[in-house]
Amino acid sequence: MTATAPVGELVRPASVEEVVAELARARREGLGVLPVGSGRHVGRAAGRQRWIALSTERLSGIEIYEPADLTLTAGAGTPMREVSAALAANDQFAPFDPPFVLERSLGGLVADGASGPLWTGYGELRNHVLGLTVVTGDGRVLRLGGRVVKNVAGFDLIKPMTGSRGSLGVIVSVCLRAFPLPAEDRLLVLEGADVASLLDVARGVGTAPVLPVSSVIVGGALLVRLHGAGSTVDSDQRTIERHVGRTFTVPDAPSAGARLARARDAAAAADTVLELSVRPSRLPDLWPSVAEATPSEAVVDTYAGRVRVGFETLDRAAASRLTEAAERLGGAASVVRSSDPDVASAGSRPSDAEELLTGRLRDAFDPDGVLWPARR
Amino acid sequence: MSRPLPGPTVRGLEAIVGPEHVITHRDRLLAYESDGLTAYRVAPRAVVLPATTEEVSKVVELLHGARIEIVPRGAGTGLSGGALPTEDGVVVGTARMNRVLSIDPVDRLATIQPGVVNARLTEATRPHGLYYAPDPSSQSTCTLGGNVAENSGGPHCLKYGVTSRYVTGLTVVLTGGRVVRLGGAGRLAADGLDLVGLFVGSEGCFGIATEIEVRLLPLPAGVRTLLGMFDTMEAAGHAVTAIIGSGLMPAAVEIIDKATIDAVEASVFAAGYPKGVGAALVIEFDGTEAGLDEDADRAEACCFEAGATEVRRATSEEERLALWRGRKKAFGAMGRIAPDLLVQDATVPRTRLPEVLARIAEIAVEYDLTIANVFHAGDGNLHPNILFDRDDADQLERVERASREIMKLCVSVGGTITGEHGVGVDKRGYMDLVHNEVELDMLRRVRSVFDPDGLWNPDKVIPPVASGSPAEAAAEAVSA
Ligand SMILES: Cc1cc2nc3c(=O)[nH]c(=O)nc-3n(C[C@H](O)[C@H](O)[C@H](O)COP(=O)(O)OP(=O)(O)OC[C@H]3O[C@@H](n4cnc5c(N)ncnc54)[C@H](O)[C@@H]3O)c2cc1C
Repeated sequence: MTATAPVGELVRPASVEEVVAELARARREGLGVLPVGSGRHVGRAAGRQRWIALSTERLSGIEIYEPADLTLTAGAGTPMREVSAALAANDQFAPFDPPFVLERSLGGLVADGASGPLWTGYGELRNHVLGLTVVTGDGRVLRLGGRVVKNVAGFDLIKPMTGSRGSLGVIVSVCLRAFPLPAEDRLLVLEGADVASLLDVARGVGTAPVLPVSSVIVGGALLVRLHGAGSTVDSDQRTIERHVGRTFTVPDAPSAGARLARARDAAAAADTVLELSVRPSRLPDLWPSVAEATPSEAVVDTYAGRVRVGFETLDRAAASRLTEAAERLGGAASVVRSSDPDVASAGSRPSDAEELLTGRLRDAFDPDGVLWPARR
Repeated sequence: MSRPLPGPTVRGLEAIVGPEHVITHRDRLLAYESDGLTAYRVAPRAVVLPATTEEVSKVVELLHGARIEIVPRGAGTGLSGGALPTEDGVVVGTARMNRVLSIDPVDRLATIQPGVVNARLTEATRPHGLYYAPDPSSQSTCTLGGNVAENSGGPHCLKYGVTSRYVTGLTVVLTGGRVVRLGGAGRLAADGLDLVGLFVGSEGCFGIATEIEVRLLPLPAGVRTLLGMFDTMEAAGHAVTAIIGSGLMPAAVEIIDKATIDAVEASVFAAGYPKGVGAALVIEFDGTEAGLDEDADRAEACCFEAGATEVRRATSEEERLALWRGRKKAFGAMGRIAPDLLVQDATVPRTRLPEVLARIAEIAVEYDLTIANVFHAGDGNLHPNILFDRDDADQLERVERASREIMKLCVSVGGTITGEHGVGVDKRGYMDLVHNEVELDMLRRVRSVFDPDGLWNPDKVIPPVASGSPAEAAAEAVSA
């Protein structure tokens, strides 16, 4: 799924020491290093210089899982499928659902930092990463955080690491907070002729006095998900229905599962993928610009104010128009993926000040500029 | 003794904020000598109280232009000496920056100035059916700027998470007075590193937050509060593990030990605990009415299974406040039975609570000290409070040795040296228990990303470079 440039070499270190050694070799030989997890979500890798892909695949396995503590520590290469299965065996789960989450590695999930619809109910992934072991570009091994839920012993370097996409260091191990599986997981569905009218209902859901765990528009329907005890969920459904003056349907488990998978993955596998965000109340103003660009698929997270759009083809001008539309509304856009380098650079630019701080942070983690050559 | 500021500097500051908002008189500076950790006291050279981002920016520009250190200060309730002045420095306080700038009930966001008191924000948003979730026990006085700087928690952070989960955007004034906007709720899709998340918890070492955008939550419709009594702390600790392990999601689980209960009962705050109780748990569930009774029943069963002698349940707001009283008034009550109180702070994996508490009790005996525990049990966030008299030099030394022992204990079971009060000056000496020299060096490098000249809250958080260490050699090579 990488965009351009064939991988020069794939290395698969099996220990922290081997990661350190690979980074040292890269420095010696003037190679760039692109850390990869499952390799499926690398995004825009490019660059003409020589580089190696450093896979964390063999840094795999659950190290500590104490269900009563609701924390799990595992190697960065551990497949999320394995993490989920281990948690499920104890009636727990990791409430993070970015696209294709089960095909990702744990470290890749954290490095990408993306949140999915469950963000609404559980918060961002970065708030639930309790600890990381990281190898910096120049081969220093850092243990950040720990395996307790509250920890302020020093500046919070976990936050910039989460979502750093390999630009600060190689994540070799992760401690994640887990959550108890809810007694009831209910999906409410409202089919609608057009997105604009569904957005109207979603606004009502967003201001109802109860908080769903996700609220998404995809495939011609508004999907509102509730977690909790059975009686709680019954009551929350009534509250929401009263608040918006509409009645939702509750699909059976298999079709709810299919819809949720679509809400999670929609548009993410297209050739060109953009993510746009505005404050949720501005979604109705943003939507016409999205519709005009005629995406092959779109999914709207109505509580987060986030829209993911996929295109079979999209030119630079159209991508820029979308970015401008989001920015005009006080929002931002990012090109998650594109085979066209011109389009890939059409997202929102950080401010000069943010760029300066980001550059200095990268220098602090990777003084020789070894990592993620495409993004420096 | 701090040197007075040069006359032109004082006049420059006065021109920015008005003469009445620049404090240089010795008597008036006394109020700023320490924060909530009163064992440390240093008088600053001056205190400046700006009212807007622009004023902060100009103040910082002027002071940094003269290479004068700045210590940001909120309400001064911090418990790690984070707002402790430096002898060469000036305190920039946010007391006048106390306006709620906007409340957006549809997007459930509020933008406030940093001097807004935590509880005031919820008061302001309550008419919209919304509230600000993180609730430090000091919420009636501490400021949101202080909360951001410390990444503060509170009893209800068990269910809702700590400050960083709620801060969506910041305006910050950095070195030299540069005003920078970070993040913003509408900009979730923006690429780049999480600078907002990094700034939260920076303890005044990166700059001053002058505007804070936070996420609000709908007020819970219902609440159920239980007070469980136990013969021993160990039994109460087991109940905590059982409750969390059962899949329940309480909003708060707070623990109060015998020493604390005795102090409360002997004070004007007496909460009516039965005689001889060894430990109590305050357990709260909130949210949709339906289901709360079920949750409370299950938690009650967990308590009895762990050996509770009695479980009380509040059925009215009045009763609820009564059940919380012992917890909320604990610090006030302890203040009355000893001249000084050291509020310790550490976190352990929840399942290790019973053994850690047992060992802390032994440490109290070994060092002949009274240690009273009242803390956020659901998060494993301990507050062993050591009662002492600062005029007793021998006792003071034992307090220090016992503290270090407790910190080592918590780290040895997989915990850490501070869960919410921050490192400040007080915990710098323990940082080597959780970070090796490479990691400490990394913290120094990240600090200098924001503060290359060492002018923001110096001598906090990171211990000085160990003498004779490779890092010292490197630091010397650079400065040579
Ligand atoms: C009785 C009592 C109970 C407490 N309970 C809790 C609790 O439950 N949970 C908890 O987490 N803490 C608790 N605390 C600790 C304390 O209240 C918190 O750390 C609080 O966030 C400090 O806020 P403040 O406004 O008093 O900040 P201060 O003490 O004035 O400052 C704290 C730190 O923040 C920095 N700072 C202040 N404002 C800014 C700003 N605008 N920009 C950048 N830096 C700034 C200062 O330099 C300093 O390093 C308690 C304290 C007391 C006395």
